[in-house]
Parts: sequence; C-alpha cells; structure tokens
Amino acid sequence: MPTREIQNMKKKLLILNGPGLSDLSVYDEFYGKLSLQKIEEKSQAVCDELNLDLDFRQTDDEDELFGFLLKDSEKFDAVIINPVGYSHALTAEFARYRLAIKTLTLQKKPVTEVHIANIFKQGSDITKPLQVPEGEMGFVSGLGVYSYVIAINAISKKLNKLA
Amino acid sequence: MKVYVINGPNINLLGTREPEIYGYETLDDISEKCIEIGKKKGIDVKFMQSNYEGDLVSWIQDAIKNKIDAIVINAAAYTHTSIAIHDAFKSFSGFKVELHISNPHLRESFRHVTYVGPAADAVVAGLGADGYSHVIDLLPDLPIKVN
Repeated sequence: MPTREIQNMKKKLLILNGPGLSDLSVYDEFYGKLSLQKIEEKSQAVCDELNLDLDFRQTDDEDELFGFLLKDSEKFDAVIINPVGYSHALTAEFARYRLAIKTLTLQKKPVTEVHIANIFKQGSDITKPLQVPEGEMGFVSGLGVYSYVIAINAISKKLNKLA
Repeated sequence: MKVYVINGPNINLLGTREPEIYGYETLDDISEKCIEIGKKKGIDVKFMQSNYEGDLVSWIQDAIKNKIDAIVINAAAYTHTSIAIHDAFKSFSGFKVELHISNPHLRESFRHVTYVGPAADAVVAGLGADGYSHVIDLLPDLPIKVN
C-alpha cells in the first residue's frame, strides 16, 4: 500500500530523557512553565512538520536508560538524549554513558545531547572541565524546550544530508 | 530584533582550515545565510569576525551601548582562555548564546574549559556550520526582551 511505503520511509528518532526528568518544576521558568508532557508535545509537533517518526521516552531506571540506548538503538536512525548529570560527572554512570554513545556514533547515527538549563552556569568552578563521550555529537544546553527543538531541526538536516 | 553574531580567531579561515572538522562552508557563506534568514524573520543580523581578543570585547560593549537584543558568539580559541570576554559578556543583559561549529568537549582537553559558557544563557555546539542558522531561526520563538 502506498501509505505504508511512505510511513516506512520516515526516519525514526528516539528522544530519551534520563532520571528525574519526569518532574521539571525545579527549572527556571524563563521559557515558560515546563513539563515533560509539554516537551513531548512540542517535539512531536516539530517531528510531524519534518516528517520524522518520534519515540519519546523517559526513565528513572539507569539500567533501562542504557538498555534503551544500546539494545533499541538499531531501531532508530538518530538519537537525542538528555542524560541529566551523566555527561558531566566522572562517575560509573558516565563510563556507561560514554560507551553507549560511542556505540551509536560508530554506527554513524546522529546523536545530540540536550539539557534544559545551561549546565555551565550551575557550577561556580568554571575551569572544571565538562566530561563528554567520544565520537561526533551535537550539544545544546540552556534553551529549555527549545534545546529539543534545535536538536530535532539539526538532526533532520543531518539525516537529509546523509540520505 | 537586533542581533550581533561575533566570531573569534581563525574563523576567517573556515572552508580551508581542517575542513574535516569545520566543514567546507566559508564564513561569507554562513554570514549570507544568517542575514537571509534574519531578513525573513525580521531580525537585523550583524555578522563580525576578528582575530583580536580586544575587538571581541569592544563589540560586546558596542552591543550594550547600541541596545542589541541578542548576541551569538563563537569566541573560538578565546573561549578557553579569555576572562575579558567572560566579563564583557556578563555585562550584556540581552540574550546570549555561546556557539561552536565542532563540539569542543569532544576534542583536546585544553578545549574542555569554557569561560564564555557560564556567562551565556545557552550553549550550542557540534551542529556544524548549520548551527548558526539553526540558532538565528529559533531566536524569534524565544522569550527575548526586544528593545
């Protein structure tokens, strides 16, 4: 069926939100009152416009998070991840995160890390380096829900270039 | 809305300097694209580049004086060294975006420190030369106070 063919051509995007992101009431309201549902709705609207098939997930379970990244990654053409603190703390989770991202980038899948707030503003020690994984990866921090919007726009453009 | 896009050292070499990292687009290409998107979106975009740290500081001060609404800055290597740019950027009360073509945090450790980031509202990196147009395109949607 033609409609099915068109659906099959849609590129699949996974947006993955890490632990704690179900409650966004702690965030500054510069970009308006935030909730994960609002982020999902906005992401869905942008994906609809760009003809992307969106799978939007959040988990508080670390094992599940890395499972989504490693086991399910085959099903997706690109990934946007909000890894909360995993990307900027030298912890065991960071090592796992780094490995998962490396696996994705080795498959040449566009990956972009997003943060709602500007993570460089949070610490007072500005000379402390940010720990991020290897591989090619986009990074957007501090634009609230628009961090996701810009990441989706950039990934769509990248997928079109790869096609 | 009035926006300054300020670029630091070596960015004038875009298109020829390590294109596998920075891409084949020249700064003129990027500037043209940003100004064009700006026109469509009703944004007055002024694009500038200098290899001198003091010029970047002066342009940020000009932005304060001229009541510019937002600055997008790619301070390039000065990102990782310049307290002067950090201070100037802090004094600018409009919307501030730190931008990089590549992702500095994925590169040599001497690029992992940002003095610009803590003074910025947002940081966008690793989206290639398209990062500039993605940011300009988005600015009208943000709750930026327009003078």
